[in-house]
Amino acid sequence: MEGTLKIDPVRRELLKNALVTISDNMLVMVVRTARSTNVKNTMDFSACICDDAGQLVAQGMAVPVHLGAMMPALKGCLDYFGNDIDEGDIIGSNDPYSGCSHLNDIFTFKPVFKDGKRIAFVGLILHHSDLGGRVAGGNAADSNEIFEEGLRIPPSKFREAGRDNRTLLRVIEWNTRIPERTIADLRAQMAALDQAEAELLKLLASWEAVAFRAYMADLMDYTERLARAGIAALPDGEVEFTEWNDDDGVHEGPIRIHLKLTKRGEHITCDFSGSPPQSGGAVHSIYVFTMSCAYAAVRTVLDPGIPNNAGLYRSIDVIAPEGSFVSARFPAAVGSRGQAGFRVRSIVLGALGKLTRGRIPACPGGSEFAIAASGHDAAGKRFLHLEFHNTTGNGGGPDADGQDAGPYCIGNLANVPVELIEAESPIRVDEYAFLPDTGGAAEHRGALGIVRQYRFLAPETVVQVRSDRFKSRPWGLFDGGDGAAATATLNPGTGDADALPSKFIRRFKQGDVFRAEMAGSGGYGDPLRRDPAAVQEDLRLGKVTEEHAREAYGVMVHPGTQDVDPAGTRRQRDVMRNRATHQGSGS
Amino acid sequence: MATATYRLGVDIGGTFTDIVLVDDGGGVFSKKVLSTPRDYSQAIEEGVASLLTELRIEPQAITEFVHATTVATNAIIERRGVRTALVTTKGFRDVLELGRFRSPRLYDLTFRKPEPLIPRDLRFEIAERVSATGDVLEAVSEAELAEVARAIGRRDVQAVAVTFINAYVNPVNELMAAEQLARLLPGVSVSASVRLLPQIGEYERTSTTVVNAYIRPVIERYVASLRARLARLRIAAPLMIMQSSGGIAPGAAIAERPIYIIESGPAAGVLGGQRVAERAGVTELIVFDMGGTTAKATIIEGGRFGLCPETEVGGGAALGNRMIRGSGFPVQVPTIDIAEVGAGGGSIASIDAAGGIQVGPRSAGAEPGPVCYDRGGTEPTVTDANLLLGYLNPGALVGGELALSFGKAKRAVQELADRLGIGEVDAAYGIHLIANATMLRALRGVSSEKGMDPSAFALFAIGGNGPVHAITLAEGAGMTRIVVPPVAGLFSALGMLFADVEHQLIAGFYRRVSAVTPEDFNAAAAPLVAEGEALLTSEGFVEAARRDIVVFADVKYVGQTSPLPIALTRFPAGDDTFAQIAAAFAAEHRKIFGYESPGEPLQFVSIKAQCRGVPLTPRMPEHMARRNERTAARAARQAYFGPQHGWQEAAIITRASLAEQAVAGPAIVEEYDTTTVIYPGWRARLDALNNICIVKD
Repeated sequence: MEGTLKIDPVRRELLKNALVTISDNMLVMVVRTARSTNVKNTMDFSACICDDAGQLVAQGMAVPVHLGAMMPALKGCLDYFGNDIDEGDIIGSNDPYSGCSHLNDIFTFKPVFKDGKRIAFVGLILHHSDLGGRVAGGNAADSNEIFEEGLRIPPSKFREAGRDNRTLLRVIEWNTRIPERTIADLRAQMAALDQAEAELLKLLASWEAVAFRAYMADLMDYTERLARAGIAALPDGEVEFTEWNDDDGVHEGPIRIHLKLTKRGEHITCDFSGSPPQSGGAVHSIYVFTMSCAYAAVRTVLDPGIPNNAGLYRSIDVIAPEGSFVSARFPAAVGSRGQAGFRVRSIVLGALGKLTRGRIPACPGGSEFAIAASGHDAAGKRFLHLEFHNTTGNGGGPDADGQDAGPYCIGNLANVPVELIEAESPIRVDEYAFLPDTGGAAEHRGALGIVRQYRFLAPETVVQVRSDRFKSRPWGLFDGGDGAAATATLNPGTGDADALPSKFIRRFKQGDVFRAEMAGSGGYGDPLRRDPAAVQEDLRLGKVTEEHAREAYGVMVHPGTQDVDPAGTRRQRDVMRNRATHQGSGS
Repeated sequence: MATATYRLGVDIGGTFTDIVLVDDGGGVFSKKVLSTPRDYSQAIEEGVASLLTELRIEPQAITEFVHATTVATNAIIERRGVRTALVTTKGFRDVLELGRFRSPRLYDLTFRKPEPLIPRDLRFEIAERVSATGDVLEAVSEAELAEVARAIGRRDVQAVAVTFINAYVNPVNELMAAEQLARLLPGVSVSASVRLLPQIGEYERTSTTVVNAYIRPVIERYVASLRARLARLRIAAPLMIMQSSGGIAPGAAIAERPIYIIESGPAAGVLGGQRVAERAGVTELIVFDMGGTTAKATIIEGGRFGLCPETEVGGGAALGNRMIRGSGFPVQVPTIDIAEVGAGGGSIASIDAAGGIQVGPRSAGAEPGPVCYDRGGTEPTVTDANLLLGYLNPGALVGGELALSFGKAKRAVQELADRLGIGEVDAAYGIHLIANATMLRALRGVSSEKGMDPSAFALFAIGGNGPVHAITLAEGAGMTRIVVPPVAGLFSALGMLFADVEHQLIAGFYRRVSAVTPEDFNAAAAPLVAEGEALLTSEGFVEAARRDIVVFADVKYVGQTSPLPIALTRFPAGDDTFAQIAAAFAAEHRKIFGYESPGEPLQFVSIKAQCRGVPLTPRMPEHMARRNERTAARAARQAYFGPQHGWQEAAIITRASLAEQAVAGPAIVEEYDTTTVIYPGWRARLDALNNICIVKD
């Protein structure tokens, strides 16, 4: 290494800014040129710059579950191609068993050369709406093997020496239900890499290669120091946290995920060894995704200004035995791995909450609801509607209620406008609203659950849904209540109303209605300590009902005016406290 | 004209109110006074009165009063709007609060988006429905409306916003409900969403309508109060207000649609920049405005600035990345495309836990301000660094009103340098460059992010700190030409005086292009054009030649999200008009999105009329020069010009002295409102308009 080169902190800061800007510019380029709603509207993508060995040096405004995901994917490509990577190539893959995530995420990388030697890679990951498989959208929870989920692209050259690999692009084009959008998105993806390469070359013009390598290495070391300092500031300890997924879509659940989090000095270890073996279905996670989700959760207790690069991860170990629910082994299907991933995030947050004795809010609500609805409209034109409602709001925290519909800071997908859905697909949305009484009752209430109700207008619509939290509710903390469970209903309020499971693939007739009620968030602190005025305010806003105010919070109001009855409230709360004491003394 | 006349431009910011007065001959006078947040119009009255007294100008001689203001934005940030109700389609009363779920601050568990402007109990639902193809599936029931009106009537509501799902396709239900509610609720202002924004996207349309309804009565009162003050000052000139789109409009029009002035102040600077540059023969430029807490950049290409369809209001923090949404309320009105970052003279330099240096996003703001202001600031800022580097006058800023403490700034930077293990000068220069790196994000945001190379553009530097950083920033972006206009430090207040009267009128027209005839289009557009003609006529643009009305069709591919505005080459539309629209759309689509889809059907979304009042005489004087400026004594001081040039003695000069001869750097131009730093290797001269033009050798 160039150990003798003295690092100038100013120059390093300038380089850091320049690299992040190049990464961000890739994303802007993609938004500008891509075609599909999932890319343009939902923004399901991330961009990065790695050094020539594949170490992450900079990552732009990323989707948090892509944190740390770049390096394993690039390693998969480097392992296969070795030195057979030249100027003008674009390499990439979507294979979860070659370091990628799930088949819809295509990772692409372009090498950047200086003085004839490779000095860096620019990389871009993009979620493609459909790459074939037995169910449109690729998210089916009940697939058993990856071969059912769509086109598996091994580490490949998407472009070789400046020439597109037409064979590969045609294979992709012929294996998607929406060829025009998919190819346009892929071209947008490659064009963004070209732009980033050009920008990086421009930057490199004012650098000696030796110095540039040294500064990239130092940027990672510097980040590692920041991360270590942040971790060191947390209390030492060993904490355990357990949570459940309802089921895997194939077998009966629940699936118990266990974490032992150890924090010593400047190091955190997340050990998932206590989790069950993989069983089937597609909801389990692979190691890389588990790792990304754990990193994202740990990041929330560190300084938000820490750069995103390999140095950030060096002091965080994630242990997840291969073949377990959080580290599935080939050829498991992984299309719905978001399910397990959300649980990994909430478990790590829960453990950190224990470690920090309450700095972390209770569990965010939502049922990791994803829907892919496809078919042909009355005119025979194919449609595919894809939508993710992963979270519904935030858990109550040490200082405040969880904000209703508050965005989730370690998952960052936008919803799709109702009017856009209706304009693009033969689907009508009947309702998109809060569900009263669904926030975990607590001193600091959890955010409300949310309902989305669809009416299918095509002669026949194939609907694939992945969701959870029907049984395992978002947890409360310090005597705060859990968020309400999720439910799914066919044709509610009619004679043939029927409860639906959390995960299904089903053909809906014209006019059928599907109601998805997504879980509320957990609360923080004893609900009997909640300020009655706050309960009254929720009542006024229709976020809780009088009955819920009485039963969950012990708050009595005067009928009609809904003003708090202080004496009645005191009596009711005393009764409830006594009841709790008696129940509690038994256990 | 027999007697001298004057025009007044007033720009209100959070801290200062800038007043600029221009006489017939291009003489410029200015005054900077502290803003009066309790009632912003108070500082205007006092400042204008004192300026007129100083200059012994009769108020009757003021022929024009133009104003840019943050009042609309502040009303939202400070929640000082009126109690507003929302009436919407059954099943959707929470759309306003649900929003889009994007988080502008990743990994921050404490982030909260702003609470909705209308609480849930004031959001009412009506059983009605229109399909995405415009069929009325369920009509509005008058009985239900009457019930909702009674409920609203009981709640002391002053404004009502009406937004129905799919009203952008067929507004019949929404308009009927709005009309009925207006009738049932006398004295309450009722706004239908399609009147403001007949466009797809229920959240954005609702938000836009709600923001407008919420601040409208506040702006009405503000306009009335300002008019009363002008009357008291015996200024008879009409009150004109700067809009986010770069045009001005009478106070009365703004009072009805205050969402049009959200970016009022920044728009004034850009418009002024475009006009001044145009006169100077520069058509490709980036207007760069750097103040105390933020820096803004806007690109002008082919002499035109771009408008973007949406801005966010009420988010607080300035954002430099347009990928980041969700910190405020979206408002979809044409807004000059401005990229903003949180870097300015007050940005604080600090050291993180790993020994790295950071500049911003924390700012010392106006209070306590940089360390050198000696008002309690202890952490070094960008301005402190600039002072140490010799860029700023170590005694006082030339206006003389602000004494600077060089010693305190030096100690603060020294302490930071010691902790970094580098020299004090390297630290100061580093702070300057790192602030530039942040600001480069704004520059690139408007240029390279859109496929344009900044080096092909001139940097038009304004704001108190813009000309201090212009050259180092230009070097960073590969730019070689810089323009520093007169009164650069108060330029927004000057720039607004060059704006034309402009109204943006919009009507929904959600129809397949193939399903309508030019006659259908004309029938829908004609009322807009007539409204524009009437508005402009009432504002004094009586001759037809003085009314410039351009009709735009908002067009998209069927199924696409955002439309593009396409100008008609003539109106009324004729047989060839739709072909012209299709060709222009394809070209624009290729330019913006990088592709076109020939054969994919086209959809009209809405029709817009851009109505401009054509001035009788040019809005900008032939020549501009500041009057009554105290000139700095000819002097020189040492300044640091980076490792390449090191410390050099820089001549301290005035703008006027540049008229005599071009000056090669190093040199520093000191003026009342800003300081222009000219690096070695750069050469400055004055053009006919009194701009300092700096080019790289």
